[in-house]
Amino acid sequence: MTALAAPAPPRRRRRSTEGRDAWLLVLPALLPVMLFSVYPLVYGVFLGFTDAEAGLNAETNFNGLDNYVALAGNELFWNSFKIGLIWAFSVTILQFLASLGLALLLNLNLRLRWLARTLALVPWAMPPVIIAIMWQLMLNPNYGPVNRTLESLGLPSSINWLGESAIALPVVIVVGVWAGMPQTTITLLAGLQSVPAELNEAAAIDGASTWRRFWHVTLPALRPIVTAITTLDLIWNFNSFALVFVLTAGGPGGTTMLPSLFAYNEAFRYGNFGYAAAMGNVMVVLIGAFLILYLRAQMRSRNS
Amino acid sequence: MSKSMRNPVARPLQYLALLAYMCFLAFPLIFLLTTAFKTDREIRSPDPSFLPQSLNFDNFTAAIERADLFQAAANSLLTAVTTTAIVTAVSLPAAYALVRFRTRLRAVATGWILLSQVFPFILIIIPLFLLLKDIGLVNTLLGLVLVYAVWALPFALWMLQGYVSAIPVELEEASAVDGAGRLKTLWKIVLPLLAPGLVATSLFTFINSWNEFFFALVLIQDPDMQTLPLALARFVGAEGQVQLGPLAAAALIACVPSLVFFMLIQKRLTAGLLSGAVKG
Amino acid sequence: MRTRTSASVAAVAGLLALPIALTGCSAFGVGDDGDDGGKVTLTFQSLAYQDSTIAATQEIVDAWNEANPDVQVELVQGSWDNVHDQLVTQFQGGTAPDIIHDESADIMGFAEQGYLADLSDPLSDDTKSAVSDDIWGTVTASDGSIVAAPTLLQSYVVFANTDAFADAGVELPAGDALAWDDFQSLATQVAGDGGFGLGWGLQQPTAAVMNLSLGFDGTYFDGDAIDVGANELAVPERIHAMAYEDGSLDPVSLTQSGSDVLPGFFDGKYPMYVAGNYIAQQITESAPEGFNWAVLPPLAGTAGAVQAANPQTMSVAAESEHVEESAAFIDFFMQPEHQAALAQGDWLIPSSTAARDLVAEQTAGYNGWGAILASGEGLSAAPFQSAVNYPQWKDQYATPALQQYLADEITVEELQAQLTDGWNSLG
Repeated sequence: MTALAAPAPPRRRRRSTEGRDAWLLVLPALLPVMLFSVYPLVYGVFLGFTDAEAGLNAETNFNGLDNYVALAGNELFWNSFKIGLIWAFSVTILQFLASLGLALLLNLNLRLRWLARTLALVPWAMPPVIIAIMWQLMLNPNYGPVNRTLESLGLPSSINWLGESAIALPVVIVVGVWAGMPQTTITLLAGLQSVPAELNEAAAIDGASTWRRFWHVTLPALRPIVTAITTLDLIWNFNSFALVFVLTAGGPGGTTMLPSLFAYNEAFRYGNFGYAAAMGNVMVVLIGAFLILYLRAQMRSRNS
Repeated sequence: MSKSMRNPVARPLQYLALLAYMCFLAFPLIFLLTTAFKTDREIRSPDPSFLPQSLNFDNFTAAIERADLFQAAANSLLTAVTTTAIVTAVSLPAAYALVRFRTRLRAVATGWILLSQVFPFILIIIPLFLLLKDIGLVNTLLGLVLVYAVWALPFALWMLQGYVSAIPVELEEASAVDGAGRLKTLWKIVLPLLAPGLVATSLFTFINSWNEFFFALVLIQDPDMQTLPLALARFVGAEGQVQLGPLAAAALIACVPSLVFFMLIQKRLTAGLLSGAVKG
Repeated sequence: MRTRTSASVAAVAGLLALPIALTGCSAFGVGDDGDDGGKVTLTFQSLAYQDSTIAATQEIVDAWNEANPDVQVELVQGSWDNVHDQLVTQFQGGTAPDIIHDESADIMGFAEQGYLADLSDPLSDDTKSAVSDDIWGTVTASDGSIVAAPTLLQSYVVFANTDAFADAGVELPAGDALAWDDFQSLATQVAGDGGFGLGWGLQQPTAAVMNLSLGFDGTYFDGDAIDVGANELAVPERIHAMAYEDGSLDPVSLTQSGSDVLPGFFDGKYPMYVAGNYIAQQITESAPEGFNWAVLPPLAGTAGAVQAANPQTMSVAAESEHVEESAAFIDFFMQPEHQAALAQGDWLIPSSTAARDLVAEQTAGYNGWGAILASGEGLSAAPFQSAVNYPQWKDQYATPALQQYLADEITVEELQAQLTDGWNSLG
């Protein structure tokens, strides 16, 4: 801090002190990040190549690619990976479409807009655990309002929404969409508001229909933000844990077993730390590869 | 002027759509609210009314007694406030330096911020658990604070960078020309301008650690150390005996702090995210 | 604008100052773990969850603390739902309690990992002689060490709504045992027109199926090899038949938890209800006024009214610095009057014969107790408890496969294949 307190140095000296000042200012953030996130990450990746497991004084040995060979034949893991992909893509896409619709509405001069906007933000402020509990109550087969509403409409009403393997995943996806709408809506709304009004007006004068204007003017202007938010949503959804952990804990019959839950169980139920870390590594590599492809495709179509 | 204005069907349809959205978003919340005030008999009655027959607070007292909610809330508050303080104190100078000084650090930091989002928590939690065990911080709130702080930092940095770059450099240069030291410039010029962004960032950090579940699940085993989400998750679990009313009440209590904060900064947060998204 | 900004700054400053005021290490749970002045403090993580049992446990601990001023026991509350995960992290993190409450089917894996102290020597002879060798077998590790004291036993019993039986004109079965065939026809008889005879919350089906299968000699395991044959599949097949052939068992209830189904039993929707005997406590607590119920005789298969014994257990962490003292507390805990009190709190069956007699004496004439204690006579050790990978097999293969079978999504052959292949893939 003393370096900062010194009077503003003459221009010539500025460059070298600047570097030093920058380091001094960044260091308090850098040190804990190195210790508690870079180091664990590197260690975690490394653990994926060992046989680390629970046990008093259990020895940990480097075992090369053994974990990956075992993983390749682990049907349950790939099944869970598939569930993870279905979950992440469904939630991201539905969330995007629902949020885009809402953001477009919120961007219009409608009455009660403030209320809708506030409501759209609320799930953000709720812990995922609470969201899960709330939906458990909603979907309770005996007392939940969902079944009760169906009953009053004379429809089948003894459905155990979270307990039947055929429908549990779609139901959980709906809850995921509900929980994740705020971020996406607000970001898209912010994007819409930054689309220059002149563009739309010019198109309107040319006689373009609302739909055409949306398709040819608004959407292209929104593209960078759409790319950013769908990418982030996809990552967040793929890695999400708390919501489904509390909602179904992966059941019934493993039909909602997201890969993060699967790996958690492998590590903290069955004590196979090395194997679980290997699952983490596989998840990173596959998701990373997908993201690179996706972002590159987006970049290319933007350039063309 | 606009075509949609001329279309007589468009407006009502738009309102209809907005209404549908509002139902989807609000219904679970209203249901939670009403359930929290209903008696057990009302909840289980075969022919329920939507609104509770009277405002009864029994569920709230039951919830507080049963799940040690006070202890858990105190733990959550302590953890979230400390985390927020650390993150704010550390990320402010760092964000300033990353924006104002042209060093290679910025590229590295941005890279890290993005990268840290991609990694699944499972890769981090195992080594982190072993690390915290070695330094005796497993099953302590201090350990939890450290973890939360480090994992909240990237996002806080990202948000703050947006705010810092929104401050015109000319202001600082003018101050420097006037002979003010850099620290003085920071204190007198930059900090006041940054205050709204700082508030938004810190409240964001607060909410994130208030809501966090996964790290707490692994790192905290002692019931005395439980955070609120942990206590609530276990409240649900308590072998079969789920009391719906108290559960709803407990859930409601757990939302209050972040909802209040959220309402307070709603506008600012939106603006802050926007500037972060555009500039960062 | 100006005042607003300074208010924001003040808010941030306040936020920064608060933790400094709060930063006593103890507030963060760091430190403060030493023995003070030769006094030993043991932590005891109990999973009791019904109010009556929590109170009984607290009383035992209080009595011990009063009698042993130098060895104080501190009660910590755990939960059955996450006990396995919690123990994994506690053992791994070195924060395990000294005295650990769990159940035999769950804890034996930890014994193989070396986390549990051998109690063969420290436990008193009184404790050892109070329990049958068969039950001791459920807590003996592969190297012959005893890693827990078995406390309470659970059996699956059939509860009956006696008024519903009377309305249907069906007589309550009596006798020492209720054969599965009779049970099935009973369910059809009381079902009435279009109704159900039975609700059974089998969301987590594995434990119930494994325990009841012993009544058909369905042992599932032989050492570390699995064998799923006709005996093993008898119970799931019968449940399946009741749900999808007779229609006497509500299939929706099979996807729910026991306590989700309980209200249907109270409402009269289900004249019969199968659950662990501990549910009797919930029935006495929350049944509507004027609800009349009984416990039917224990279910009997071809091998008699036998069920697998999966006792609750009390163990000591291998890393505990006070194994002797902890074992002494377990001895105290195992005394007949204490076990009897706990058993009555949870409506469970003590593994110790003296305690069981005491319960019989104290509960003579109470509704249901006679039949529950009778079901305890048929409890014996089953091989699945000592199969090391049982918990993982149960989560990953047995539970999903049974759930699918009971939801009528797979055939019995597929069930058999999934159970067998799953176990073999765990190696």
